[in-house]
Amino acid sequence: MSDAEPIMRNSLSLPRSATAAASPPRAERAARVAGDVPRRAWTFYALAAFFSAYVLFLYGPMLCMYVLSFQGPQGALSFPMRGWSLHWFQQLWSGRTADLAGAISRSIPLALIVMAITVVFSVAAGLGFRRRVRGSSAIFYAVIVSLTAPGYILGIGIGLMFSLFGWQTSWFSSALGAHLSWTLPFGVLITFAVFGRFNGAYEEAARDLGASPSQTLRMVVLPILAPGIIAIALFGFTLSYDEFARTLQTTGPSNTVPIEIWSMTQNVTSPAIYALGTVTTAVSFLFIGTALAAVTLIQRRRAAAPRTH
Amino acid sequence: MLARYKPYLQLAPLTAVLLLFVAAPLVLVVVVSFFRSDGFDTIPAFTFENYHAILSSGLTASLYLKMIKYAAMTWAASLVIGFFVAYFLVFHVRNRNLAIGLFLVCTVPFWTSNVIRMISWMPVLAEQGVVNSALLKLGLIRVPLRILLFSDFSVVLAYVHLFTIFMIVPIFNSMSRIDRNLFEAALDAGASRLDTLRLVVLPLTKSGIVMGSIFVVTLVMGDFYVVKVMSGGGSASVVSAMYDNVSTLLFPPAAASAVILLLILTVLIAILTRFVDVRQELVQQP
Amino acid sequence: MASTISSPEAAAPARGEPNGGVVLAGLTKRFADGLVAVDGIDLRIEPGTYCCLLGPSGCGKTTMLRMIAGHETPSEGAILIDGRNVTGRSPRERGTAMMFQNYALFPHLSVRDNVAFALRVRGIDRKARLREADRVIEQVQLSALAERLPGQLSGGQQQRVALARAIIMRPTVLLLDEPLSALDEFLRLQMRGELRGMQRELGITFIHVTHTQLEAIAVADQVVVMDKGRIAQSAPPREIYAQPRTEYVAAFIGGQNVLHGQVTRFDDACVTLAGANGAHYVLPRDAAPVAQGQTLSFAVRRDRMGVSGEPADPSFAPNTLGGRVRELEYQGIYMKVSVATDDPATPGCVVYVEENTFFRDPVSVGQRVRCHWAFGEAHGLA
Repeated sequence: MSDAEPIMRNSLSLPRSATAAASPPRAERAARVAGDVPRRAWTFYALAAFFSAYVLFLYGPMLCMYVLSFQGPQGALSFPMRGWSLHWFQQLWSGRTADLAGAISRSIPLALIVMAITVVFSVAAGLGFRRRVRGSSAIFYAVIVSLTAPGYILGIGIGLMFSLFGWQTSWFSSALGAHLSWTLPFGVLITFAVFGRFNGAYEEAARDLGASPSQTLRMVVLPILAPGIIAIALFGFTLSYDEFARTLQTTGPSNTVPIEIWSMTQNVTSPAIYALGTVTTAVSFLFIGTALAAVTLIQRRRAAAPRTH
Repeated sequence: MLARYKPYLQLAPLTAVLLLFVAAPLVLVVVVSFFRSDGFDTIPAFTFENYHAILSSGLTASLYLKMIKYAAMTWAASLVIGFFVAYFLVFHVRNRNLAIGLFLVCTVPFWTSNVIRMISWMPVLAEQGVVNSALLKLGLIRVPLRILLFSDFSVVLAYVHLFTIFMIVPIFNSMSRIDRNLFEAALDAGASRLDTLRLVVLPLTKSGIVMGSIFVVTLVMGDFYVVKVMSGGGSASVVSAMYDNVSTLLFPPAAASAVILLLILTVLIAILTRFVDVRQELVQQP
Repeated sequence: MASTISSPEAAAPARGEPNGGVVLAGLTKRFADGLVAVDGIDLRIEPGTYCCLLGPSGCGKTTMLRMIAGHETPSEGAILIDGRNVTGRSPRERGTAMMFQNYALFPHLSVRDNVAFALRVRGIDRKARLREADRVIEQVQLSALAERLPGQLSGGQQQRVALARAIIMRPTVLLLDEPLSALDEFLRLQMRGELRGMQRELGITFIHVTHTQLEAIAVADQVVVMDKGRIAQSAPPREIYAQPRTEYVAAFIGGQNVLHGQVTRFDDACVTLAGANGAHYVLPRDAAPVAQGQTLSFAVRRDRMGVSGEPADPSFAPNTLGGRVRELEYQGIYMKVSVATDDPATPGCVVYVEENTFFRDPVSVGQRVRCHWAFGEAHGLA
């Protein structure tokens, strides 16, 4: 075969068709011999345009919001821009429009705790799911239920449960649990994807070489799974930080950031809310960026993954 | 010997959380739905009066119909968008790293809170918003369009904006597993591009489509704030009615409403999962 | 901090003496679904030899290997290494090391760290273990690649790393699970010579699992042919090839024609069998008891048969079989002649005719021919 295209090449985009002339024109043949890439079909351009439109659709509104949050004191909820300043950010911080600082100071520690617990529980569950033990199907379906049941209903349920037992709903009990019920399924799904490719031979090799189970876990299993673990941490943090529906009924008296925003949409009519959106997005992105950088670093170190199948 | 119990120990923490924060609450919701409420307290009882009230109420039917309408429109739009976006990423982008990069670009907005993404549409769709200003400047309209915001259109638009990613991911997943040689085999057999799409790609992507549909529909049906905000505060949804009940401490009716919604969703999912092996799809083990 | 790194757990005999003798007594493995993978195996492997476990998929060879390694627990029976009963002990305590199919090299560790792993888990300090790792890496001639990650190595290089990783603890028995299957044809032939050389150099026992007959007879001192959890024959390669004990071994090892007939006459020296269509065979008598009318099978090596055109006189000389040439395949050194025989119990015969011999008097496809062999070339199968 003269061409060695990567596997992703779409052969539908080949210029060849059933009714093409018997032999391609000389110029084209010459180009092919020289290693030229075949021309793309019109569908590529159409789909590329469609994709770009979708990305614009996704990011457009948020970009508007970021821009608007930098308006001056005359600013309103929509365009045109009235002035440039950090006025609304100051408003936010001063606490006059909403208890932002308070909400953030609560949301972040909660998110970090949820992240840590999610990682540990998901990885453990991923290890446990490898063999089809009794009840693993039931657990699997419970995970699916947790993902598809409307979050608000679960929130009600948790709130009811706590009031039934006379416990006070609070951050580190009910809200924590509600968040975990949302982040754990994602964590478990990721471990499925990652563990599906994890070859049990590594553990056996480690055991053969004399490693104890804890050494095997520490030195072989976890390092190999590190990118997956980072992905779970990522999900754990951001899902908790952004979680809204389930949390409404379970935080007790003090609010998380999304709930704070929600209450602001009910009664605040100034660009402060956009400023809040910008700030909270920045926090999420900061976290994502760190996680992705870590993963890329690890992947680059490993070069091409060995094909062990 | 301990090794035999290891898997159970490993699954224990997850199971505990699921029992405590998913199973128990749901059971409780079902139980409370049979209680009585006198406007202030919730009285333990066993009565069908809540269900009766809800099921005989015209409001319930209209709310459900409205949500089903939204769900259907969102499903259709997200399916079309999701399918072609995934198709583009999997089959038209040649560099695998670029494909994954573009895929991540699509998922990044997911990390921002839904509430924020929703309200960010306001300046865009408002009467003085970006879209209207652009259309006016281009001379395509003379008066700002009012239906862009606070209407059915804005609600569905918001849903599509928020939830299409849940359609893209499973479809992307399914499509990635299609053997590329199948395209050449189809071409060889004389199939046109459209034929190949219809007879090869679509059947093999079925499981991804079903998973995505389940996610999108349950998310729309379970929503309560998008509808409220994007319709200008006037419209309610099934779950926002629940919210109103809860705000006034009417737990039993809210619970009954929740149970009805859950039943409907369960039936829907049961129907859809007949077409796909969920465990196979998600666990990806042979 | 050991300055001399050895495997303290296994009591190794004095250096210079071959070690790693393995004895299996009544070894059985029954799986939960009722499958008996290994069925009451008794086997003796001499220390310092190269032993191949040979058989098709599902014959139990890999399960047996894993039981010797300590990765699978026997349902019954005992495993002795150098006289010590190691049944139930962990791999670490046995003095064995395993080379896994597809190598199982830790993808996140460099070659050097992979090789030093066994020392690391025993708490040897960093400098000492890296020094020892480098020594072993040099033994397998990979010093230039010590910093690389497994993903950056070729198949043959990965195998050498796997080998180095296994031998660093100086095991007395090295277990290899289909070590050459992941390689392409050319590399396979090359690496198999290296394995043989390494075994000689180390002087320890190698137990090598494979499903490739030619590979087994090329490298092994002792070939153990397995069938459905039992040993069909255990012998040096030459004996297996020249004198397969059963029809199964003959068919599996290849290079044999298996024929059948009914006993018409026998004495102390030979047995006469009647085949189909008037053919009759005379073979040397072996120790097995023989009865009149009994159906016996026997094997003749493909390269010990001859093919000639059918003679005018159709009467049957002993030890001949008539048929029609079905196919001719040139193999360089010999011509492979496939014959559709007249005997329905033996539908096909394959004869390897030496090149010059064939072309002196060639036969063609479709021609009627006679296969023939000498009395001493036939030997009975159990």
